[in-house]
Amino acid sequence: MKDILRLVIALTTICVAAAVSLAFVYDVTKEPIAQSLRQEKLAAIKAVLPEYDNQPDQAVQTVALGKDKRGREQRLDFYVATYNGEWVGTAFASPAKGFGGELLVMLGVTPDNKLHKTKVLKHRETPGLGAKIEKEFIDQFANRTLGVGELKVKNDGGDIDAITGATISSRAVCDAVNDGLKLYSERFEPPDKAAGQRE
Amino acid sequence: MKIIREFSKGFWKENPTFRLVLGMCPTLAITTEAINGIGMGLATTFVLVCSNLLVSMLRKLIPDKVRIACYVVIIAAFVIIVELTMQAYFYSLYKALGLFIPLIVVNCIILGRAEAFASRNQVAESLADGLGMGLGFTVSITVLAIIREIIGNGTVFGIHVLGSSYLPFLLMVVPPGAFITLGFLLGFMNMAQK
Repeated sequence: MKDILRLVIALTTICVAAAVSLAFVYDVTKEPIAQSLRQEKLAAIKAVLPEYDNQPDQAVQTVALGKDKRGREQRLDFYVATYNGEWVGTAFASPAKGFGGELLVMLGVTPDNKLHKTKVLKHRETPGLGAKIEKEFIDQFANRTLGVGELKVKNDGGDIDAITGATISSRAVCDAVNDGLKLYSERFEPPDKAAGQRE
Repeated sequence: MKIIREFSKGFWKENPTFRLVLGMCPTLAITTEAINGIGMGLATTFVLVCSNLLVSMLRKLIPDKVRIACYVVIIAAFVIIVELTMQAYFYSLYKALGLFIPLIVVNCIILGRAEAFASRNQVAESLADGLGMGLGFTVSITVLAIIREIIGNGTVFGIHVLGSSYLPFLLMVVPPGAFITLGFLLGFMNMAQK
């Protein structure tokens, strides 16, 4: 009996000490982590849009996309960038199913309906193979005019050079771009109209 | 003298990767690029040194019957501390290694050293053991990663070394390549030992 008490006390003390120190570290790092995440988002927005001077993550247009299979609300944030108050582009993230799991591509569209630039935000593709979508591959999507057919890899009759040995990953990026642009054309409201409502 | 011996044994005589063949999960999973090897190795070293230190300090207070549970709690706590700290203050490093940090928990080198060494030895020796084992692990997986990166991608630390005409041997980048490389290295180690 006395023995069991000793075990319980020892284990409980260690667990409580671990919990307290984790709570402390969590509290200290919470703010810097939120900052890092915001910086990352802003960096991604900056990478896909022309020059702007507002805070796009605070000028968000959110549209609901209905529920996914598990019943969770899906939504899409359009980050609206302006320069001297004039709309210069919209950035948004678009998901697709890759070879190793979900991947997320940030797209930047300018008001003249051109895909300005794209950037892979998150992926779980094979390192050294599919992971190359992050590099030169993604630049093939820059400066495309919207609404002239879907972007496809060469095997599927398009003009995107797929990565050798990673056709599935290459196709997935195309899917993400196509789906994203479709949603953009259908759901995004150009801010000129919205600005009229605000005034 | 004893401390130096405890430190240096991790590099060759009891090298965790090639002699003890411990911690195969991160060894095989992340050694596709040299930089991943170094980052993972150093993060593991940090957790290993901290857990060895704490386990050695508490070795007389932790009852035998619940020791493994206690070690697991200590190790897991350190791993989360490393993860949060990295995410907060070294975000670019976290982006490169984020996926692998939780893998440190399942690295049996750490639990192995806590159980086999730190729970039976003084604090100074345990620190030396942790540092030596950790750095030995770092060197081993970095060597493995450099070989795989050169053959599989023609680069070392992202710099092209084999010229642009080199055709990457993709097998080396996928998991089977890790097993093959590890097998050759283990074979060479055994030959050198004789």
